Amino acid sequence: MSSDKSAGVPARFNVGDRVRVRELPNLFYTRTQMYVRSVTGTIAARTYEDLTPEDEAWNRDDARREQYYIVRFRQKDLWPEYPFAADTLQTELPDGWLEPANN
Amino acid sequence: MPTRDELSKYYSTSAQFSPVHHQQNDWPYEIANGEFTAYMVPPHDVGGQADSPVRYEEKEEELWELNTYVTCEVLGWRGIWNSEERRRRGNNDLGASLYYGFPYYGRWIWSAARMLVDKNHVTLTELLEKVAEVKARNEQR
Repeated sequence: MSSDKSAGVPARFNVGDRVRVRELPNLFYTRTQMYVRSVTGTIAARTYEDLTPEDEAWNRDDARREQYYIVRFRQKDLWPEYPFAADTLQTELPDGWLEPANN
Repeated sequence: MPTRDELSKYYSTSAQFSPVHHQQNDWPYEIANGEFTAYMVPPHDVGGQADSPVRYEEKEEELWELNTYVTCEVLGWRGIWNSEERRRRGNNDLGASLYYGFPYYGRWIWSAARMLVDKNHVTLTELLEKVAEVKARNEQR
C-alpha cells in the first residue's frame, strides 16, 4: 500500500470555471447521471475531498481522494424541450468526471 | 409450503417481471449497442424518466424500516461495509425489476443480507434456516 494513500488528487477547477462532464460508459455502478454527460456547466462551489463513488462502492479505502464540486447546468442544455430559459440544475461530481471546457 | 395454486401465481407474476422491452427470445444471441447502453444504466439514475404525478405524503418510518437502517449502520461501524456507497451499490445490484418494485428499505436489507453472504460472514444455508425459524416462530403467535 502506498504511503500517500490519503493524499488527494490536486483539485483542477475553481468556482466559475466551465467544465464538461466526461463521457464514460456505465459499468456496474456510478452516481454520474447519464443526462449530464458531455454537457457543459459551471463550477458553483468546491465542497470536500473524498473517494469517488466508484471506489467507495467497492470499499477501496486505499484509493486517492478527489475534490468534489457542485456543478451548475442550464436546464435547457440538459433537456432541450425545457420551457424556462433561466432555470438551472445543480449536481455534485468528483474531479475525475470533469474536463475543462472553453465555451 | 405454497399450494399448487399459489405456486402458479408466483410463476405467472414472476414472468411479468421480464423486461418490458423484450424480443421474442428471452435469451438473445446479440443485442444492439443502444439496447446494451440502456441495459447498463444503473437503476438509481432515474432523472429524466417519464412518470405520472405522485401524491406527496407525510409518512413516519415503520419499525422494520428503522431496524433496517440501524442494522446497516452498525454493519458499517463494525467495518463490515460502508453503509453509504457500498450499500447503495448493493441496492442497484438488485437489477431494474426488483429495484423499482421493492420498498426503499427493502432494497437496503436485501443488500445487507447479500453482502453478509458474499463476504462469508454467514452461509446461505444458515440464512435460509434462520429465516425459516423466524417465520415458524411468527406463525405460532
